[in-house]
Amino acid sequence: MTATNGMNALHPAGNKNHGTGPAAGPGALKRLASFPWWHEVILAILLICLLTYAGSVAPMFLRPGVQIGLSDRLWNVALLALPMMMIILTGGIDLSVGSTMSLSAVVFALTFTHGAPLWLACVAAVATGLACGFLNGIFVAWVRVHPLIVTLATLAAFRGVAEGISLGRGISGFPPGFQAIAHHNILGLRPEGWLFIAAAAYTAIVLAKAPFGRYLYAIGHNEMAARYSGIPTAKMKLFLYSLSGMAAGAAALFAVARVDTARANLGYGMELKVITAVVFGGVSIFGGRGNIVGVIMGLLLIYETREFISWQWNNDNLISIIIGGLLITSVLLQVALRAGKTAQ
Amino acid sequence: MNNFFVPSNIRPSCRAGLMLLASAALAGTLAIAGCSKSNNATSSAASGKKMYTICLLPKEKDIPYFTSCAAGARAAAKQLGDVKLIYDGPVHGAATKAAAMIHKWTLQGVNVIAVSPNDPDVLAPAMKRALKKGVHVITWDADGLPGTRQYFVNQASARRIGYTLMDTLAKDIGPHPKGPIAIITATLTAANQNAWIHFIKIRLKKYPGLKLVSIQPSHDDQRRAFQITQHLLQAYPNLKGIIAVSSAAFPGAAEAIKQAGQSGKVQITGLSTPDDMRAYVLNGTVKSVILWNTHALGALTIRVAEALASGKLKPGQKTFNAGPLGIKKIVGHQVLLGPLMVFNKKNIGKYHF
Repeated sequence: MTATNGMNALHPAGNKNHGTGPAAGPGALKRLASFPWWHEVILAILLICLLTYAGSVAPMFLRPGVQIGLSDRLWNVALLALPMMMIILTGGIDLSVGSTMSLSAVVFALTFTHGAPLWLACVAAVATGLACGFLNGIFVAWVRVHPLIVTLATLAAFRGVAEGISLGRGISGFPPGFQAIAHHNILGLRPEGWLFIAAAAYTAIVLAKAPFGRYLYAIGHNEMAARYSGIPTAKMKLFLYSLSGMAAGAAALFAVARVDTARANLGYGMELKVITAVVFGGVSIFGGRGNIVGVIMGLLLIYETREFISWQWNNDNLISIIIGGLLITSVLLQVALRAGKTAQ
Repeated sequence: MNNFFVPSNIRPSCRAGLMLLASAALAGTLAIAGCSKSNNATSSAASGKKMYTICLLPKEKDIPYFTSCAAGARAAAKQLGDVKLIYDGPVHGAATKAAAMIHKWTLQGVNVIAVSPNDPDVLAPAMKRALKKGVHVITWDADGLPGTRQYFVNQASARRIGYTLMDTLAKDIGPHPKGPIAIITATLTAANQNAWIHFIKIRLKKYPGLKLVSIQPSHDDQRRAFQITQHLLQAYPNLKGIIAVSSAAFPGAAEAIKQAGQSGKVQITGLSTPDDMRAYVLNGTVKSVILWNTHALGALTIRVAEALASGKLKPGQKTFNAGPLGIKKIVGHQVLLGPLMVFNKKNIGKYHF
């Protein structure tokens, strides 16, 4: 693969029809259909429509102070979506992120209440997340059990352990300095937000430019072929699942700081929120296809929709209905686009 | 850079159809959004009168107990005329979601947030922040942590609930009650329930013939309560009575007694809504159902909130005039709703909640 295919590193599938595309037939429609960023463009259009509508009926909603205030609930999902995207790109899945958060939170709280300094408790939480992810990685990469089964098992197991060691009790009363990481802005944004932006930028560069990124897509496309080509598939998977666990450990710290409580029910259902955003962002659940721009658009669209409905209509039941409708729309559009491509 | 997707053999006509379907789905979604009535906090009343936006947050939305509280709250808001009521809460009772709602309402700058905290620890930072931003915060149905609310609208003191439950069971068993009794609770760590059980145990000393043999958790699950009651009936064949201190456990336990053919032999009482218990009261399994007036609880919460926002309720006041609900006592930071209601065969037909 040469440097001219920079964009195709994001879309390896784009190579499939090389040479036949534009020559196959004239017509603006066909050229339009072969545009590779349709999914992202559609998500962007939907997002703009939503924000325009929101701005016209509730101008207050778009104020920067309000948006930053509401963003509390975005960053947690966003942080976990990055490793989840890479795992899904390889054709895998990590269902245990929510339970890992819960275990990390409980370990953090117990370490702290047993007299450890705050920094040590934080390290313990992230290390717990890393260990959980590493365990998933071992089973997926070395024992070669399907990731769905492995992480379904650890989804139950990690939360079970968290409930066991905390005895189901909530632990509160952390120092104000710790709570501040979830309530105070640095340069106009939550620290969590900056962490996500930095991580997302780095991930984007790695996916587009580094061999690691290309290997990810290769594994997702055909793992056997990737392995025979000398790609260290097992090591990469071990790394990805560990990364996912570590991100969950870090996210747990922010979540605990926000509510000043660590309880075993923290992060319940988180895995579905994260996977929904990733898949909505155009990442194929079978692996090999998708990119970070789409995932960020997906995250923003779901989050803005949720927050706006809650802001405007104060109806918790409505949110799931509309998010569901949005997902169905996106799936149908994807299928329609794919059908359009083949019309050439 | 041509083909994003792997080609397959789908005809172009299919594509148009799918596009149409997708637009239809989108239109449907938007229609749902459009149809739902806007009750945004920022909209103001047409009459020009000063309106107070009051947000009522239940522990869990869409369960009968809170729905009936909300009905009372709506009626009170209508009577007062200067209240814009927003009733919303987490559908599955997630405390972090409740915290996010409090946070959102704080950003919107509403006047009062009335919280029934499903997890006081988790909600405390959000409630404190609201107070700091100048929003009035009160609790109702269950109290929050100290420093997170200005008032607590309390349906009944734990002592009154505990004593009433014990006295009612003893009365239902008959004169000179004697034998083993059991309690079915929500969870062994539930704060409200444990306070009530504490006072049940104190009152039990008045009835030397009765002996408390077991306290079982039902995890607020009707089916679990049903199974636990079956086990209790087998383990204690001469069991005389059961007190169910969770509104979900009560109907489950009553059903188990009925199916075991023990109606009338094993007495059961507890806390639940008349709607959930009507069948068991009418068929004789249950003699008395105890609950506070949920309509009045919702209404009193709204009246306290409105008085707080308009400055009618001042710190240090010992009583509160709740209009048609009468004069209510204020003890410390608690506004007390008053006596409990006992539903039995004679009066249960009149109450629907």
